[in-house]
Amino acid sequence: MDKIISYFLQNQERVFAAIGEHCYLFAVSTLFAIVIGISIGIFVTGEGREKIGRVVLTVTGAAQAVPSMAVVALVFIFVGIGFAPAAIALVIYSLVPIIFNTTSGLLSISPKLVEAAKGVGLTNLQVLWKIKLPIAVPVIMAGIRSAATINIGTATVAAVIGGGGLGDLIFIGLKLQRTEIILIGTFLAAFIAVLVDTLIAQAEKAITPNGLKISR
Amino acid sequence: MIELKNITKKFGKQTAVKNLNLKVEKGNITMFIGPSGCGKTTTLKMINRLIEPTSGDILVQGKSVVDMEAVKLRRSIGYVIQEVGLFPHFSVFDNIAVVPRLLEWEESRIEERVEELLHLVTLDSSYAQKYPLQLSGGEQQRVGLARALAADPEVLLMDEPFGAIDPINRLKLHDSFLEIQEEIKKTIIFVTHDINEAVKLGDKIAIMSEGNLVQYDDVEEILQNPKNEFVENLLGRDRSLKALTLEKTKNFVTQDDYLIISPNDDQQSLRQKIKKSQFEQAFILDENGRLIGRKILEVKKGNEELIHDHNPVVVDRNNNLIEALSTMLESGEHQLPVVNSKGKFTGVINLSSIFAEVSEAETKKEVKGA
Repeated sequence: MDKIISYFLQNQERVFAAIGEHCYLFAVSTLFAIVIGISIGIFVTGEGREKIGRVVLTVTGAAQAVPSMAVVALVFIFVGIGFAPAAIALVIYSLVPIIFNTTSGLLSISPKLVEAAKGVGLTNLQVLWKIKLPIAVPVIMAGIRSAATINIGTATVAAVIGGGGLGDLIFIGLKLQRTEIILIGTFLAAFIAVLVDTLIAQAEKAITPNGLKISR
Repeated sequence: MIELKNITKKFGKQTAVKNLNLKVEKGNITMFIGPSGCGKTTTLKMINRLIEPTSGDILVQGKSVVDMEAVKLRRSIGYVIQEVGLFPHFSVFDNIAVVPRLLEWEESRIEERVEELLHLVTLDSSYAQKYPLQLSGGEQQRVGLARALAADPEVLLMDEPFGAIDPINRLKLHDSFLEIQEEIKKTIIFVTHDINEAVKLGDKIAIMSEGNLVQYDDVEEILQNPKNEFVENLLGRDRSLKALTLEKTKNFVTQDDYLIISPNDDQQSLRQKIKKSQFEQAFILDENGRLIGRKILEVKKGNEELIHDHNPVVVDRNNNLIEALSTMLESGEHQLPVVNSKGKFTGVINLSSIFAEVSEAETKKEVKGA
């Protein structure tokens, strides 16, 4: 414990830089994953494309079992090394739960409800924005939440291909065989993950429409 | 009001609706009925263009729907489906306000309108802030109706709106639906698979089978003169009994077959009065003509006894004959007092006059069938 504190005090700048890098890598990749993932989810569940949606659901369901290290390794082979490849690996990996949840959330909305919305005169775009997306919010947010938490963990692995961040600390610790450095990196990554998870949970509560929170 | 001209709809190789011609009259409730897959719902959805016809034309208020923008057309036609049609994430207020908001009404006008509609469908204003999940099936259906009426459309399309509601509440909803229609007088097309519902609510019934219109007539005409065996089977064996739902109690009230007494008559003279008449009972009315009780003369072991009944069973004059008949059967009386909605005595109805009506309908059927 003493070793941890003394290392932390002596290398404050380095540790904070690692936190900063880590958060930046995480934020950029998650943001991209959210935008791309939700768009894909909306596209594959559009009118007349329900079959594609179900295929996507099966594929992304299975893809969640692929280990993060495999994705990082593949990106390294095809794209190389550095911040960008690391970010790309993270985007690809965290896309999966977001696409899965967006698709399943939108597919689970009753076709009768969509028909009612059209029947009273909503345009297709209004049906999406006013009816389908708000109703799917809890499911989509759950997808984003698991993507974000996984992403923080995976970002440490991405250090192998030059992603930087807390992963660097951990790998340095491994090389120098200094447990305290490994522990600092691990602890901080876990702490950020818990923090982010809590924040997204709060956001989920805030943007879920009131009518959906009621249980009979 | 609404005219379907040579409407045909094909889904791939299957023909759902075959060359349908039909005119729906203004202010009427027209019931579309038939077994599932007969094309009734498809026909309904072609009117607001949720489904596009393969060929033919549909005119609403003289204008061809194909020439109108689908979204605009739908905003001008009320649409009610089973209870799932309410948006769960919208409050009751927001659900009803959907179409007025699409039409960009001012918010103050929308508030007024929602209040007015809640009142019309007999929900109090506190419901405005509730959510669909907090409502019973019947309440949801009332909100659904209010939503469809929000922008005061001339035409209302209803697709099995009461299908998911239990029988007891369905009957209540039918009554209030008819009362509402008396007030709003919309042109309504109503899809159902329940013949009792069709007979009770409809002015006219369109019977469909395998995409064809089998018979389209006034309800009385269909009951008395079914066109073929298919219609007969659909109506069921008890169609003479069903015809009773078309008759209102008030048309069968007798004015000369009962005894009226005032609450001030003394026991002895009452007994004499009842004994002298051929009746077993006498109705007590207050000074405003409201029924406040009845006296029954019963003979027990040779002794005559005058029994007082504070709370006599009554029939409302707006009940149909089926309802009057079942009230009689439940209470075991062959004569019941008929009152109006304010409790005022308007006469009596006799079991014999209901029987007479049934046998008359039977004779008509036989004459026409012969």
